[in-house]
Amino acid sequence: MARIELNGVNVTFSLRQTRRVTLKEYLLKGLFLTSVNPVVSIHAINDLTLTLREGERLGIIGHNGAGKTTLLKMLAGVYPPTSGTRVVEGKICSLFDISVGFEGEASGWDNITFRGYLQGETPTTLKGKRQEIADFSELGDFLNIPVRYYSAGMLVRLAFAIATATEPEVLLVDEVLSVGDLAFINKAKERMRQMMRKSSLMVLVSHDLDSVTEFCTRALWMEHGRVLMDGPPEEVVAAYRASIAPIVETPLSAVIPESVATPALVATE
Amino acid sequence: MLQQLTAVWTFRYFWFSLVKMDLVTRYRRSFLGIGWSLLQPLAMTAVLCVVFSKFNADEKNPNAWRTYAQNLLGAMAVWEFLRNTLLMGCKSFLQNEAYIRLSPLPYGIYPLRTVMGNSFHLLVTLSVLLLVVAVLGSVMIQPTIWAAAPAILMTMLFGWGIATIAAFATTYFHDVSHLIEVSAQAFFFLTPIIYGRELLDAKGLSWFVDLNPIYAFIEIVRDPLVRGVIPTWDRYAYAGGLTVASVGLGVGTIGWLQKRVIFQL
Repeated sequence: MARIELNGVNVTFSLRQTRRVTLKEYLLKGLFLTSVNPVVSIHAINDLTLTLREGERLGIIGHNGAGKTTLLKMLAGVYPPTSGTRVVEGKICSLFDISVGFEGEASGWDNITFRGYLQGETPTTLKGKRQEIADFSELGDFLNIPVRYYSAGMLVRLAFAIATATEPEVLLVDEVLSVGDLAFINKAKERMRQMMRKSSLMVLVSHDLDSVTEFCTRALWMEHGRVLMDGPPEEVVAAYRASIAPIVETPLSAVIPESVATPALVATE
Repeated sequence: MLQQLTAVWTFRYFWFSLVKMDLVTRYRRSFLGIGWSLLQPLAMTAVLCVVFSKFNADEKNPNAWRTYAQNLLGAMAVWEFLRNTLLMGCKSFLQNEAYIRLSPLPYGIYPLRTVMGNSFHLLVTLSVLLLVVAVLGSVMIQPTIWAAAPAILMTMLFGWGIATIAAFATTYFHDVSHLIEVSAQAFFFLTPIIYGRELLDAKGLSWFVDLNPIYAFIEIVRDPLVRGVIPTWDRYAYAGGLTVASVGLGVGTIGWLQKRVIFQL
């Protein structure tokens, strides 16, 4: 039975302002109790309490730096809570930073193997999925060459194909729905729908507010590590939209001089 | 600790496939390929043998170089393993940062990747050593070869422990890796590798040699393979104690820092 329970969770990053402290500086400054490079605390998640039961699909929205990705990584177990308790039950599949964690000198096929094993697959379970992953990525013969020669789009295709080949109970998704070319985006969205149907619990972080209302049963609006609003996706998204200052529409002719305006511009006005 | 070991076992396919890939990549575009693993220790020993035999020429014993070559190759095999494990292992968290940020795997896997790769090269070098002993040696080693197996395992475990501690230290203070490089240079000359221990014994420094952790592992691995003798129980006890301490401290460091080290990456 998949379950997520967070109780009073805090995640705090302690960073040095200018640069890394060397061992010599640490020892000497420690002896004389002074610091020229003080620690800065960043309180990324602030006293968060959240319970998700089987069948729930949570969307998280908010400005950049609100703590959404940190929350997702904390749910995945990558960042341990600084305080509070975290309980996540069920097989976790994370879809974030999917274009990192490749072995550049290895071929696409070999990377399918590594990433598959990283996600907890065994040689037996992966054997049946390798061709399906290859077919979904549409990379064909490119799978035989080292991935260091791949373009960014090709890497994302491969990463997405591998990452979505598992059957998770808890699915954690961070901004992977805006990847690749248009044809692949449609394919990726359909794959996401299939995964969401198979998973028991899902947490989706997205700036695409339509995806949140389409895929989620509940939404969270985060700001500076705190939850501002928690409720039905339509209400939360509407409140979030309303909080952003409206952009005044300026006609293009006001910003593009007449001397360089083309007939096409005039036709659109 | 049991949870850590279970997790290492669960993800055995992942880290083992990375070890295989490291070995393939290391010699990918070279002419000899994996043959360098065979040629490198032989070439190294041949050069050192020629140079230092000239310095230590003994007219009464023209075949002294045969014994010297075997002892040198055996010592170099173990030294190279421990040195490379520590040097590469200390950077293992920094080099595997992408995986650490993707998935909460046990931290012991990353130094293990380094240890297993270097263990392959150690076994290749020791196989070459056996061939060299067969050609140059005059001592019966068949009855004692088996004793090298537990010694090699202890050396690997010791290597994992020190690599793990160094990996955490280097993540917090990057200059630790430079300290290790410099210390390795010093240790190479302080340890009886290119010279016999008799040189230090004659100066009343046997206690110094006996306390040297590197030499403890050199003795228990090399002597059964080259000299046809099984070291005394106290040497095994000392190496065993070092292994237990190293693994214990490694596991303890993981338990102490695993929830904090990601914030240092």
